[in-house]
Amino acid sequence: MKRTKVWGFIILLSLIVFACSTSDNGGGTSEESDDNFNRSAMLINWADNIIIPAYTAFNTDVSVMVQASSVFTETPSEENLENLRSAWKDAYVSFQSVSMFEIGKAEELNFRNRLNVYPTDVTSIEENISNNTYNFSLPSNIAIQGFPAIDYLINGLAATDAEIVAFYNSESTATGYNGYLNELTNTVLELSTTVLNDWQGSYRATFVAGTSSSATGSVDKLVNDFLFYYEKSLRAGKIGIPAGVFSVDPLPEKVEALYSKEIGKELLLAAITASQDFFNGKSFTTASEGESLKAYLDFLNTIKNGDDLSTLINNQFEISKTKAEELGNDLALQVTTDNSKMTETYDELQRNVILLKVDMLQALSINVDFIDADGD
Amino acid sequence: MKKLFLLPLCATMLFVSCNNDDDNDSVDNGADITNPTLYTFERDGVSTVSFDGQTTRILMAGETTDAFKAFETATEASIKAMFAHVEGAVDFSEDDLNSSDKSIESKVAASSDFFAANTTEAAIIKGEFAGYIEGQINEVFPNENVLAAAGVAGQIADGTSTRYVNAQGLEYNQMFAKSLLGALMVDQILNNYLSTSVLDAESNRANNDNDVLEEGKTYTSMEHKWDEAYGYIYGTSENTENPNLTIGEDDKFLNEYTGRVNDDTDFSTIAADIFEAFKLGRAAIVAKDYDVRDEQAEIIRENISKVIAVRGIYYLQQAKTKIENEEVTGSFHALSEAYGFIYSLRFTRKPGTNDAYFIKTEVDGLLSQLTGDGENGLWDLEADTIENISEAIAAEFDFTVAQAASIE
Repeated sequence: MKRTKVWGFIILLSLIVFACSTSDNGGGTSEESDDNFNRSAMLINWADNIIIPAYTAFNTDVSVMVQASSVFTETPSEENLENLRSAWKDAYVSFQSVSMFEIGKAEELNFRNRLNVYPTDVTSIEENISNNTYNFSLPSNIAIQGFPAIDYLINGLAATDAEIVAFYNSESTATGYNGYLNELTNTVLELSTTVLNDWQGSYRATFVAGTSSSATGSVDKLVNDFLFYYEKSLRAGKIGIPAGVFSVDPLPEKVEALYSKEIGKELLLAAITASQDFFNGKSFTTASEGESLKAYLDFLNTIKNGDDLSTLINNQFEISKTKAEELGNDLALQVTTDNSKMTETYDELQRNVILLKVDMLQALSINVDFIDADGD
Repeated sequence: MKKLFLLPLCATMLFVSCNNDDDNDSVDNGADITNPTLYTFERDGVSTVSFDGQTTRILMAGETTDAFKAFETATEASIKAMFAHVEGAVDFSEDDLNSSDKSIESKVAASSDFFAANTTEAAIIKGEFAGYIEGQINEVFPNENVLAAAGVAGQIADGTSTRYVNAQGLEYNQMFAKSLLGALMVDQILNNYLSTSVLDAESNRANNDNDVLEEGKTYTSMEHKWDEAYGYIYGTSENTENPNLTIGEDDKFLNEYTGRVNDDTDFSTIAADIFEAFKLGRAAIVAKDYDVRDEQAEIIRENISKVIAVRGIYYLQQAKTKIENEEVTGSFHALSEAYGFIYSLRFTRKPGTNDAYFIKTEVDGLLSQLTGDGENGLWDLEADTIENISEAIAAEFDFTVAQAASIE
């Protein structure tokens, strides 16, 4: 009897201690994590071997697209349309290598949203073409420009190429459609040039100097930008949303490159590969790897369930690519014919969200600086 | 056997000992109170629960807030008519709302405890709501297609969303909605319907003691008053008997933000604490145990006040991070929400007192700090100022800025 009471008391006491002990380690700590990893070398590798070369290549591809657009609008023909499509595709694939770097000037310009918000707003585009009034720099106009709007203008106006070309030749429509198309491609070039110039100008120095491990340091910021991109644009945007992961029914009309019907899978794979390359610090132009998130995790000897975390992350990228390879080129068709391939791809991409956003960030002492908005 | 029995006992005691401030050490869960599992109360097999008027007002508030973005159709007169709806006027999309004799404005800053003898301040507050409407129509609407800049109303980009701000960078629609959360929902719950001045008005106690029902109704007046408080947070819940199933998803006001604060592990019991107190308090009314009733009212006051303060600080800290990262315009949306939550502090209630956590002049002081770092308001706001405001709010509560700021 007595013993029972004593035991009860001890249990009670320990429970109180357990329950009332301040379990509030929540909140942003801005403590410097004092590891000796060479963050400066990592930032330099990111800037000089990945980001700037990727923007340079992208800018070149966009210039080719602008040129093709100008040739097509001067002489609308099926052949010139094909050339424009090919240039648009190359630039769009190229964009997947810079889309994640929404920092500095890109962030200021809302770069990713101005180049790649989809589904594109066809109703507004048509209205703007007929009124010949539009201002691409207004935030409310992000859905009438960029690669998805070009997709509509070169792939979505009609069922056959001859009919599409007719929009650019017919007297009643030629001026409006030609003008809008050129404005679209020129705006992409203008934005891309602005970002590249900033990196090649003063921003590189600012970026590589931000070696502090606080929320405002370059590592924390770019890693957050990378994760935000991976989670929202890649995982959700390219696969999750059209597959219906976030809605009652699948939404095939929300795939990337909807009107082309041919390059959705290619864009997805380019994005996964670019994300993996960034993680590994792989040079944009050669096979060599420099200081990176992978190197950082290995330096800290980060283990999860007995395995190197960096290995787990790379394995997961590989599995994701393998799953993505099983998809058809037309992702909207994939959704309607066999959506399970889409959801399986989503699941593999999601597994890396856990490894990257939870395990990696914990190891690197980086706080997440973004959350789901309230939606209002 | 006995040992096992001790565990639940310990757990109960724990509950008590961890309870925030212990001016009510023992929750007398009087043996004669029947506390149901859900918010289900019946008399002779018929439900006695009713809060239609609150559901109506939440829906009206939602439509009125949406009208701030109806650039093509809304006018100053049309939004003001929604705000001060008159029975039969076609102000809303739903016939039920149009035929209602209820209005939002009549219940803004209208609680018995805070405003019955404070009509001067109530008039000022109503005027401020009118000011949000006027500002939206006269300053923001003309600049619908203008890029906002310091001192210029218009659009700003916020991720994939477009926000519409005034010359100071503030969104009137957010200020309106989040201020209404305090001036309508919180004020009516904490300072009106849970107040003894309302619950025990006239012969409510005697009638409740003797089961004297309201004319043609299934409930006593006191039961109904308590339910009306309940309705301001759960009035549009998917399952009004078990509202925490979807807490945070059922409106854009108090329900939503109770859910959001509850998502933060630092406050992971707050939704349950509020609901349980509502339920036990209602059960206590049925059992005619007014001490337990009033203890529950205090628990609700404390926790709903906390929802407002936590969320206000949360948005301030979100904005502070943006400003530190030199994303100035990216902070405006969070700051506009914070503005409304700070405004709402005036309607909170310190448990055991007749006072708000912040009086109006203190709230006005915090808000003028928020917009006072330069002539262009939020465009000039500095991170240190945000920190000072956050700390000033947290100082009145039993949680830290860091706890409110965290998202896990």
